[in-house]
Amino acid sequence: MNSVESVVAQIQGLSSSADDVTHLHGLLKQSEELLQSESTRLAPFLAELDPSKHSLGYLYILEACTAAPNAKEQANELVLSIARFLNDCAAEQIRLAPDKFVSVCKRFKDQVMLLETPMRGVAPLLTAIRKLQPSSEHLTSLHPDFLLLCLLAKCYKTGLCVLEHDIFEVDQPRDFFLYCYYGGMICIGQKRYRKALELLHNVVTAPMSTINAIAVEAYKKYILISLIHLGQFSTSLPKYASSVAQRNLKNFSQPYIELVTCYVNGKISELEAYVQANREIFEIDRNLGLVKQVVSSMYKRNIQRLTQTYLTLSLQDIANTVQLNSPKEAEMHVLQMIQDGEIYATINQKDGMVRFLEDPEQYKTCEMIERIDSSIQRIMTLSKKLTAMDEHMSCDSQYLAKAGRERQRFDFDDFDTVPQKFNI
Amino acid sequence: MDFSVLSDAMASKSFEKIADICDELMLQAATQGIAFNDEWPYAIHLLGHFYVDDINSARFLWKSIPSSIKESQPEVVAVWRIGQKLWMRDYVGVYEAIHGFSWSHEARDLVASFSELYTKKMFELLLSAYSTISIQDTALFLGMNEDDATNYALQHGWSVDPASRMLTVKKQPVVTEQKLDSSKLQRLTEYVFHLEH
Repeated sequence: MNSVESVVAQIQGLSSSADDVTHLHGLLKQSEELLQSESTRLAPFLAELDPSKHSLGYLYILEACTAAPNAKEQANELVLSIARFLNDCAAEQIRLAPDKFVSVCKRFKDQVMLLETPMRGVAPLLTAIRKLQPSSEHLTSLHPDFLLLCLLAKCYKTGLCVLEHDIFEVDQPRDFFLYCYYGGMICIGQKRYRKALELLHNVVTAPMSTINAIAVEAYKKYILISLIHLGQFSTSLPKYASSVAQRNLKNFSQPYIELVTCYVNGKISELEAYVQANREIFEIDRNLGLVKQVVSSMYKRNIQRLTQTYLTLSLQDIANTVQLNSPKEAEMHVLQMIQDGEIYATINQKDGMVRFLEDPEQYKTCEMIERIDSSIQRIMTLSKKLTAMDEHMSCDSQYLAKAGRERQRFDFDDFDTVPQKFNI
Repeated sequence: MDFSVLSDAMASKSFEKIADICDELMLQAATQGIAFNDEWPYAIHLLGHFYVDDINSARFLWKSIPSSIKESQPEVVAVWRIGQKLWMRDYVGVYEAIHGFSWSHEARDLVASFSELYTKKMFELLLSAYSTISIQDTALFLGMNEDDATNYALQHGWSVDPASRMLTVKKQPVVTEQKLDSSKLQRLTEYVFHLEH
């Protein structure tokens, strides 16, 4: 008969080499029931193990003893000990039991939230993500939790560090939806609108069989950021978006669609009136701040439109056309836009004129070549990935069976057991 | 709490590192469950964000500061007054906020250094945005009196028209190194290879 003591002894004895750990993993799986039944008296045994050496065993015991609901008074101690484990544990060992690891991390997150101290979880979860993912291309179930804690703790900058990597491997659709939604919010907070648009776009166009709340909220923010950043919004989704999204998203975001219509008309007073009338809706959605940014971005849009028509224009004329109160106010708007690189212009205070210029970039500096180079490199990697996925799919037996059947049904003469090429 | 990394950076005037150091220390302290709020150098931390032009992070930090701190530490509030002006793009207000408080010994160097950097940035902005600008406005943007601002501009090659009290901006030609090495050729070959396969 097995006992907790003997399990601990096995962990201590079988944690040094990779083979031992694999063997230990088998033994631990068999002892799972025992550990569950003894969960209440497991905690003291953790002290006999070294989280950095006996990571796998430590993980199993930690998982078992955190399974029972605990009192709030213990939360502090628990958070501290899990944080220590996440920091010390060996990546190669915990990756053998990813489910256990994720479950411990989820409980850790819950405790941190219970204590209302989200910042306590930020650094440990980041460490946990790095240890759990085989490469930075893999999305883990911990990503959304980490980003949520960053948002709650207002550590937006820290959140950016996982968003820098492009994700190619996803297990759970829900993780991906939440990752992109929270990630979008982090980027909005840091005013990285391009990246935010990319992430929100991923949510809206991702495959889905039923409509979900994450996609609806992401769509609303997607509309607002498109207006702020691009000054326009196309209400039709790309055709690779799911039909569910095509049919439903607009119906759930009607006030936002009307906002777009109003924006396109270019009349600042009408837009302001519309926002005022629907203020409550935007407030409930917690999007009022972004809506206000939409309103102020309209001045910019109107000034940008002027640059397409005029070479020089007086500050007074700019103030009149974009409905600003004074030439000085127009000057400040133009100045801000120059500072942000949104237009190219020089202000001549002596004559009260603005001269609009062409983009001075001539695409011939070394710096620009570096940028183009790195873009080409990225696209090349991406295209190689696509080819590999394509090949992988054409070898998939389930896919072949299905594709083969369909072909047979449509065109028997053309039936070919191994499809050579697929046009996607 | 161990602030030695921060004090080293302050002592060596590596102000561009302050924000990252403080962020990191704060996360560490939070992880260890230390109640750091009361002894946290919020003023320095905020200034660190200003220094690297990260007003967004500064704003989120300000939002996370407990109200008891905001009430008891006037310097933190004074630092945030600079932040508000930066956030609102109130170019002139920034200098007023900088001069409107007598800074503590710890913050003084950092504020002075930020102010200097800000003046430089404003001058760059004027250089890129104006062809002519009044002496009065130049002085406001640079946070100087009119004589000093005129001299500063003249040193950078601008010219002054005493009748209209206007400065004419002289754009500096930007000299950049334009050297290509053989690795570029290698990469071009790789691209062609990729396209053909």
